[in-house]
Formats: sequence, C-alpha cells, structure tokens
Amino acid sequence: MRFAGLALAAVLALAGGQLAVGPAKAQTVSYAQAAGLLAQHCGGDIMKHCRGLNLGNNAVGNCLAQNAAQLTPACAANHAGIREMTEARAAAQKQVYKTCDRDAAQFCPGLVPGDGNIVSCLLEASKVVSATCTASLVNAGYGQ
Amino acid sequence: MTMFRYAKTRLGAALLLAGTAVVPALVGVQPAAAQVFTPNAQIVQGLQTSVDDVPQVSAEALRGLAQAHMKYTGPPESRPPLAVQLDQLAQINVEIVFDLNSAMIKPESYRTLGSIADAMHNPVLLGYKFLVVGNTDATGTRELNMKLSQERSDAVVEALSTTFRVDPRRLQSVGLGEEALQDPKHPDAAINRRVQIFNVGRAGALAQQ
Repeated sequence: MRFAGLALAAVLALAGGQLAVGPAKAQTVSYAQAAGLLAQHCGGDIMKHCRGLNLGNNAVGNCLAQNAAQLTPACAANHAGIREMTEARAAAQKQVYKTCDRDAAQFCPGLVPGDGNIVSCLLEASKVVSATCTASLVNAGYGQ
Repeated sequence: MTMFRYAKTRLGAALLLAGTAVVPALVGVQPAAAQVFTPNAQIVQGLQTSVDDVPQVSAEALRGLAQAHMKYTGPPESRPPLAVQLDQLAQINVEIVFDLNSAMIKPESYRTLGSIADAMHNPVLLGYKFLVVGNTDATGTRELNMKLSQERSDAVVEALSTTFRVDPRRLQSVGLGEEALQDPKHPDAAINRRVQIFNVGRAGALAQQ
C-alpha cells in the first residue's frame, strides 16, 4: 500500500509539470523529501551494492539500475520513481523562467535573465503576475 | 581511523556580524527561539546575510591559509587560529555523515543534503554564492585529513550541483582538514567534524545554461 502511494505521488509530481493552472500547492515535492525517500527505501541497498558511490552525477542511481535484480522489493519498486520526483522539481524550477518570461519583463524591469532576484520579484508582484506564471511558481515550490 | 563524522547540526548558531547596528535583526536566528522552524527554514535563515559589505573570502585564499597553517607543528591546542574572518559571514554548520575514510555520503544524510539544496533554491537565497567547507577532527595524519576533507566537500558540492541543480557557479568547495578546529582544547571532539556552509555574497546575473 505504501509503495502504491509512493508511485501515485510520483505520478502526481510528473503530472504537475503539465498543469497550466492548479491549486495553490506545489505539485512537485522538495529535494529534501525526495532524497529522504531514497534513503528510506534504498539506504540499505545503497550501502550493500553501491558503497563508495555518491548521489552526484547519478552515480548511485546508475548503480541501483545496474543491480536491479539484487535490490530489495521496496527499493526496486521505488528508486526510479523517486528520481523522477527530483527531476520533476528541477524541471518545474527551470520552467518558471520560460513561463514567467513576459511577467518578468513587465513587472521586474532592470533585472536581467539569470539574476536570482527574478523569482523574488515575481513573488512580490504576485497580485499582478499572470495565472500561468503563478501556477508555475507554485509548482516549482516557490509559492506560498 | 574514526575521524570526520560531522558534528550535530547547529543551525544558525554561528551567525555573527561585526556591526552592532544590525544585531537586532539577528535575534530570531538563535536556535533557542520559541518558534518552531522546519529544518529548511532554519537553513534559509542561517544563510541569509543582512549586510552587503561582508569580507571577501575565496576558496583559493582559504585553501592557501590552511596549507600555510600546516607549518605549525605543535599539538593542535597550541596552534594559532586561521587568520580569516569567517565569523562575519552568514553560515551554518551541518551534520553530514560520511562512510569511514571515504568521501561517500551515507544515505542517512541524503535528506539533509536535499534540505540544503532546497534552501539554496529558496527565493531569498537564489541570488547568492556559497562556500562549502569540510573539517575533520585531529585524529589521523594532517595530510590525510586535508585530502579527505577536500574530497568530502567536493562530494557535497557535486551532489548539490548535479542531482539538486544548484548552479555550480554559485558553489565553491574547500577542505580545511584539522586546521580550523571548532574546539582546539579538545582536538578529537566530535564538534570539530563538521561541514560549514558560508554565504559569500551576491552571485550577480548568471547567463542561462
């Protein structure tokens, strides 16, 4: 049941990236939540099959995929979905800059692309930014 | 060797600023504050900087100071502190558990890493650069401690910048080995084994990649 719930969460996280306007709640999960789930479901497998490898550059992820047949059921069923959660959050954060391009130009004049202040500016201008931009901010975890 | 299991999280405790005028703004940073924060909010708060004229600290300069510090050959408690004003930077100490004598971050610390990444993606901190600094206690040889702490801080930065998509241009990594002990009177104490993250100022505009 727990695995089914986790898989559902992964699906929701992925679906969230495609919703133009959603409820005011992030549809992607935080990096901390996803990383915590990986440790919870695969911590033992990682120490057993991937010792010495790190999260960075997907070294642990590749190792888990290569050792698929040896993994515990919980890890085997969930590690790919958990990775998708992290990817969904990353994609949602990247998407903000595209979705909110016009809003940034209109409401945040003077800030150039790549300036970390753009998201703060868009949040401060939340009453006037477009609904699609607001949804994108929320989906990326930047919202209220 | 049992070195380098990082100290317990002491979020925000080390945030100090030189100018007394800004002190009132920092009261909420104290860990004993009544309000309950999520770990992520604590990290964000600890890394928020209230002044713009923070001392310039580069990874290269800090590494050079640590190397130069290795000339002091006496017992750890007799060595002078590193001549650098890190206290003036917004900073946090985090516990990240590594495998023994290895740069492998153990799964029990994945969530902490994710929380650091979430904080660095928080709108309040998106415009800033960070220095990730690894420290050991004084168990083992100084040379090995220096090498291992650099590999470990590199592993933290690599995870933040690849898995968790913090722009690598916002991150620098320095291993200080046992050259900057938190508690020089107890050189083997766990409190010395820590990862520090410093806010080193504005990132400026970074071209989209």
